[in-house]
Amino acid sequence: MAARQTVPAGEADAVHRRHVVSALVVDRPGTLNRVSGLLRARSFNIESLTVGSTHEPGRSRMTIAIRGDDGHLRQVLAQLERLIEVLEVTDLTQRERIELELALVELEPPKDPAEQATVSAALGWAGGEVISTDGPAWRVRLVAPPEAIDRALEALRGHGLRSLVRAGAVAMAAGTTTTPITENGATRA
Amino acid sequence: MTALPRPSSKPTPTVAPRIGARAVCEALVREGVTTIFGYPGGTVLPIYDVLREFPLRHILVRHEQGGAHAADGYSRATRGVGVAIATSGPGAINLVTGLATAMMDSVPMVAITGNVPRALLGKDAFQETDIVGIALPVTKYATVVMDPDEVPYAVAEAFEIARSGRPGPVLLDFPKDVLQLETSVPYPEPHQLRLPGLLRPVRGDVPEADELADMIAKAERPLILSGHGVQIAGAVDLLLQVAERTEIPVAHTLLGIGNMDETHRLSAGYAGMHGWMHVNKMIQQSDLLIGIGCRYDDRITGKVSTFAPNARIVHGDVDRSEIGKNVRTDLGIVADAGDLLAALLRRLPQSEPRAAWMAQLAAWREVSEARSWHGSGAWREGRLSADYVIDQIGEATNHDATLVSDVGQNQMWAARYFGFRHPYRHLSSGGLGTMGYSVPAAMGAALGAPERETWAVVGDGGFQMTMQELATLVQDQIPVRIAVLNNHRLGMIRQWQEIIYDENYHSAELLGPDLLRLCEAYGIPAWRATRPDEVAKVIAEARKAPGPALIDFHLDEAQNVYPMMLPGKGLSDMVEGASE
Repeated sequence: MAARQTVPAGEADAVHRRHVVSALVVDRPGTLNRVSGLLRARSFNIESLTVGSTHEPGRSRMTIAIRGDDGHLRQVLAQLERLIEVLEVTDLTQRERIELELALVELEPPKDPAEQATVSAALGWAGGEVISTDGPAWRVRLVAPPEAIDRALEALRGHGLRSLVRAGAVAMAAGTTTTPITENGATRA
Repeated sequence: MTALPRPSSKPTPTVAPRIGARAVCEALVREGVTTIFGYPGGTVLPIYDVLREFPLRHILVRHEQGGAHAADGYSRATRGVGVAIATSGPGAINLVTGLATAMMDSVPMVAITGNVPRALLGKDAFQETDIVGIALPVTKYATVVMDPDEVPYAVAEAFEIARSGRPGPVLLDFPKDVLQLETSVPYPEPHQLRLPGLLRPVRGDVPEADELADMIAKAERPLILSGHGVQIAGAVDLLLQVAERTEIPVAHTLLGIGNMDETHRLSAGYAGMHGWMHVNKMIQQSDLLIGIGCRYDDRITGKVSTFAPNARIVHGDVDRSEIGKNVRTDLGIVADAGDLLAALLRRLPQSEPRAAWMAQLAAWREVSEARSWHGSGAWREGRLSADYVIDQIGEATNHDATLVSDVGQNQMWAARYFGFRHPYRHLSSGGLGTMGYSVPAAMGAALGAPERETWAVVGDGGFQMTMQELATLVQDQIPVRIAVLNNHRLGMIRQWQEIIYDENYHSAELLGPDLLRLCEAYGIPAWRATRPDEVAKVIAEARKAPGPALIDFHLDEAQNVYPMMLPGKGLSDMVEGASE
C-alpha cells in the first residue's frame, strides 16, 4: 500500500471560517460555564453566544458564533456534545439557515438631508427602526443578519453613532428540521 | 437544583424522613459501596455523625489527595466506583489532582464534598470555595446539591454518570444545611433517573465491523493497538479471541497493559515513547493499524505526521470525540470495545498464521530485547538496576500482583519489565502523569482486591509527594508493599537534562529521608537493597509482612529508560540508548 500523508484530522480540512452552532442544553446554573469553559480550554474565541429558553420547559437553546478550522471545530463539537448538560449540538455553518441579530443603537439625529439619506439607507439594510426620539439622541433597533448589521453600523460611524449594544446571532436551520450531530454509536438516556 | 432537569413536581414522598447526611450514606450503600476514603471537616461532619449507622468502612486518609487517589485505585482494581469525601474549601481543593487523574484515565469515581450552608454560599465564608467551578474541567460532571429532596437523585445520578459510557469522576457538593435537613424522597429506581444529556453507547452489533472485516481480509501487516477501553469494557477475552481468529498481533498502550498475557505468542507488547522498539517498528511498518479503546495520544504517536505512515488507521472508541482528535482516521467506529470485538468475531473466518509478519516481529524483538538495559545484563555485573528489581517482583508474585506504578522512570520500568499476564493488575496515572499517585492508589487497590498482593512501585520523588499515607497504611493495616526505586534523583528529569539539555542538571538531585528510619518511626517493616544479589531476599521478606512493608532499592544513578522518543520526534526516530 502506498504511503500516504498522515496528519491530524483537524488539519486535514483546515478551512478556517466562521461557524454558527446551535446547542440544545439543560437550563440550570453551570451549563453556560461548562460550554464556554470547554471552548476556552480549546483556545476558541467566541464571537457571540446567545442563550434563551425554548418551547420546552427546562431546555435552553444556545447559538454560538465562533471562528475556527472545520476539523478542529467538528471535534470540539463532539466534546461539547458529551457534556451532561448538552442535549444536542448542530453545526449550521454549511446548511441553509435563518440567522438574525438584534442591535440597539444610540444615534444623534441627522444634521442635514444628506446625512438623513445616509442614515435611512443604513437602516434599510439592517431592518432598522427608530424606536425613540426622546432626549438628545434617537434609539434605533436593527434586526438583520450579522453581516448586514456590520454594514449598517459601518455606514453610521461618523454619522451620529454614539453607542451600541449587540445581542449576538441567533440562528435556526431553514427548511428541514434541525438534525443534531449525534449519529451512530450513541444514544441519549 | 441538581444534576438534572427537575421533574415538574417533586417525587412523591414514600419513605420516613431522614436528614440529607443519612440519605447520602443510604445512597452509597444502595450503590454497593463498602469502602470510602475521606477526611472530616466542619461542613461534612453531619455525614461523619451518622456514618457508624451504615455498613461503610471509612478509611481516614492523611490528605485529601490521598483519598482521591485511593478511591481511584479502588475503582481500577475492583471495576467499581470509588468514593472520596472531603470537607469544604481546602479539603475539596485537595481532591482536584485526584479528580483530574481519574478524568484523564476514564476512572469512575464519586467525590463528595461539604460546603458552607446555603445562606453563606458566595459570601467568602470560612473554608468556602467554589469547588464546582474549580472541578468543572477535571470532572465528567460536577454540581452543587441545593435541596435536601434532591439528595437521593443526585447521588444515584452521580453513580450512573460516573460509570456509564466512557467513565469518569463526578463531584457532588453539599452545603452543610442540606446534609442536616430532612427529606422523604426515596432512593430512585434506575428508570427514574433524569439524565437526558448522558450519552450512552448503542449496544449490540456494530455494522461498521463489515468494513473493518474487509480491511483485515486485505491487510498483510495488520496490528491491533489496544488501550484502556478494552479493560473498561471487560473485553479482554474477546480481544484474545479476535487476535487468535485473525492471527493479528496485539500491541498495548500504557493503560492497555493486561489486555493480553504478555507471554502469548500474539502479544506484541508495550508501544510508544518508552515502548519496545519492535512494537514501534511494527506500528511504522503496519499496513492496517486497528486502535481499540485507545486515544492515540501523543505518548503513543509522537509526531503525528510520521505516525504509522504505511497504515490505514482504524479507530474504535466509545467516545465519539476521540475519533479524529489526534490522528487521521481512515475508519472511525463509535462503539464499546467489547461490542466491536464481538461484531468482528461474528464476521471473521479463522485466519492462517501470518508467518512473514510474525517472523519480522520475532526478529525485531530479539534485537530490541537484547539492546535493552535488562537484556544487556548490567545487573549481572553487580549494578542494581530498576529493570532487575521489577523483574524480580514479577517473578516472586507469579506476575499476578496488583502493581501500582508512580510516574517517571519507575513507571516505564514497571510497564516494560513486570511481565503482566492478567487485566486489572496494572494501575498507573497514564494521562495526567500524577507523581505521588502510587502509594495512595495502592492503598485503595489493596482494600478493593485483597485476594491479590499489592505492590506500589515508586521513585524517591513521587514517594515524598504522598508519603503521609504511610500512617494510613499502618492505622488500617493495609498490606501494600512499597518498592522505592531510589536513585536520589528525579530520574526522568535527570534523563531529559542529560539527553536533551546537554547534561545541564538542575533540581534533579533530591535529598530524601533515611527511608528505613522513616519506616521505623511509622512502625513499618523495611529493608534496603543495594546489590542485585540482595533483591530476591528482601522481596521475599517483604512479602511475609502481614501489613504494609517497604523496600528501599538503591539504584545505579545513571540508569536511563531506553528507548526514548524525543520531543517533536516520531516512532521511527527514537534514541535507543547508550547502554548496549
